[in-house]
Amino acid sequence: MRYLKTSEAAALLNVSPNTLRAWERRFGFPRPQRSPGRHRLYTHGEITALRDALLDGLSISSAVSRAREGLGADTNALVGALNAFDGMRADSALEGALALRSLDRAVQEVLLTALDEVARRHGTDSVQWAFAARWGNGWLRRAQRLVTPPMQPLRIVLGDASRDDLDPDAAYIRSLELLATRAGATVLGLSVRGVANMAEVLATHRPDAVVIAGSAQSDDAVARWAYAVRLATGPLPVATYRRGAQRQRVRTTGAAILPSVPGEAARHLMELAAHRVVDTQDRTPTPRMAADGA
Amino acid sequence: MTGSPDRSGRAALRLVPATAETACPSQWFCGHCGAPPPTNETPAPPARVCGECGLGLLLEARADAVPSPNEAFLIVDGSLSVCALSATSEKLLAVSETDVVNRPVMELLSPADAEANAPESLAAAIMWAARGEDEPRKVTVRPANVFGVRMPLRVGACGPPRAALLVFDDAR
Repeated sequence: MRYLKTSEAAALLNVSPNTLRAWERRFGFPRPQRSPGRHRLYTHGEITALRDALLDGLSISSAVSRAREGLGADTNALVGALNAFDGMRADSALEGALALRSLDRAVQEVLLTALDEVARRHGTDSVQWAFAARWGNGWLRRAQRLVTPPMQPLRIVLGDASRDDLDPDAAYIRSLELLATRAGATVLGLSVRGVANMAEVLATHRPDAVVIAGSAQSDDAVARWAYAVRLATGPLPVATYRRGAQRQRVRTTGAAILPSVPGEAARHLMELAAHRVVDTQDRTPTPRMAADGA
Repeated sequence: MTGSPDRSGRAALRLVPATAETACPSQWFCGHCGAPPPTNETPAPPARVCGECGLGLLLEARADAVPSPNEAFLIVDGSLSVCALSATSEKLLAVSETDVVNRPVMELLSPADAEANAPESLAAAIMWAARGEDEPRKVTVRPANVFGVRMPLRVGACGPPRAALLVFDDAR
């Protein structure tokens, strides 16, 4: 995936960097990602799509609309492939999307959008959904295996409260795992249905944060799992992800509610875990020298 | 051909008025702010973004149809869809350009010329202009959701690509 700095993107479009930023404010396009230093990074695909649309457009608005439609064609292609039960064509459609977008954007804007569309059209009890969900979760698992080893010392335990691969939340949970891993954390995914021997696992993993994701399992099952984690590790920052709107009204012991978009949820989770690491380091007592210098 | 018989009884030719169009200069303008570019030369295709506001593309139209800077106007294509809205038109019609682009123009404007065959005159004027008929035409319109308001509109051709330029006369 090729990224462009603001000056490079502006030169490609033959406009000034200020104009490019003005377009982002007014039209919401192009949408840059941010580097670790908060500098804008534009995907080459978005810029070239916009440049081509500007060549024979009547206004910036209409060119932006055409560029967006062109980029949205990937979602339509994936939906078509899933409706046709063609896994290879679906893989090709997503590879085409990856040519124009980062992996994070391709997952959020194309894969999850396509799965939502299949669920909306045919229902989650349909054969089409069964095929699409299985394909989507399989693709996400394969993508996670290809992630480079984590660079940050952040460890997260993810309690999976989804039903199975056909659960509409399952793909979002896999996406959260993938994006958090790509952000550099080590993510240990465990089903909330398993609580025995929790101490053994967490003695090795030593998480910095816990997230409970999915809404298929009951609050009692989730509470038992969370209690087992707490017994094994002590107090940890806890977050919930896609636990269902009704559960958000239940009082929790300060659990953070992550946004539904996997990218933002991963970012919030990383901040939560990073704060815990900083707090732990701050609370570590500094050694004092004895009077004899020992 | 008309004529009166001469002495030999044959009809004579008479000079008729010229049918050639009078040459009218064209002018470039920004599709958002209406400002002209620094030079009236044809800009290169990748360099059509307005240098004044940065929010519109440079378009060309007949000099007698071009809007003045900050005049209210809109650009409509041959399928009667709104392609651009000037900044002044956004205030006049109380809409945002990003909300109306690619929407039918009839959602914004309705014919208000009671004397003419109203539903066709506005649409016909737009379609003629979008096909390249650059002789400006005059129609009267009102905002689609407002009654009792009449706004004169001049419709001409612009481009590239070919589209209709609708300028509100005497509207600010």
